Amino acid sequence: MFLIFALITLVGAVALVFQRNLVVAGLCLVLSFMGVAGLFLLLANPVAAALQIIVYSGAIVVLLLFVIMLLNEHQEEAALKARPLQRWISAAVVLALGAGVVKLVAGSPVLRRLDAAPMPAPMTLGALGNVLFSDHLLAFEVAGLLLLAAMVGAVALVKRDL
Amino acid sequence: MTTLSSILAGSLQGYILVSLLLFLVGLGAVLGRRSILIQFMGVELMLNAANVALLAFARFRGGDAQGTAFYLFIIAVAACEAAVGLALVVGLYRHRQTTDTDRADALKQ
Repeated sequence: MFLIFALITLVGAVALVFQRNLVVAGLCLVLSFMGVAGLFLLLANPVAAALQIIVYSGAIVVLLLFVIMLLNEHQEEAALKARPLQRWISAAVVLALGAGVVKLVAGSPVLRRLDAAPMPAPMTLGALGNVLFSDHLLAFEVAGLLLLAAMVGAVALVKRDL
Repeated sequence: MTTLSSILAGSLQGYILVSLLLFLVGLGAVLGRRSILIQFMGVELMLNAANVALLAFARFRGGDAQGTAFYLFIIAVAACEAAVGLALVVGLYRHRQTTDTDRADALKQ
């Protein structure tokens, strides 16, 4: 199961990078987020999986697709000038970091030691609520205020004259 | 190759590897594409990669609810970032009629 969800996640992400049509790229993003939600399920965390689907593949991607359709920018515009050097450098950076990451993770004794942990009980909303309202109450209220500020800020940015 | 088979079966190493590769694909989208909307999607992918690593460590360190509480705050901030970021994209399009980052490389009109 892990392999299936990992492949869904990574294939969706790679398809996004090579997709010309922005709407299809947004749908590739949904695929990738769904794969991540599946990984959260395998990590015994159905709460996080539900939040992932509701907030990311629901709200954020819908907002993104609204903006793409509003601006009517379905295709990437033609390049102003070819930048071969920058393209090669960015590809080389990503590939070098990828090789380093694989080597580092495969040879890490710390990660292997943590691997022995037994499967915990699945996360429940009750347990999350207890932690949220006993340990992180102030942060929770600040997050609410931040969401309000972002909403007002987004309206103020888009409105032509306040 | 016991490492490879345990990664394929979903060990902590497997999750961290998927998370880091997802981050790199997102980085590739930000570096390699010109459309600011695709770059925004790349940023979202990188944020998700961090979430996968966070929850993988939370599960393999005993699976208490603190990791999920942090994840909740992260997606609250991500939702704010998406709303304000997309408002900025719309504002950029109003001023320059483009979402191409090569064409919007100066602050001056």
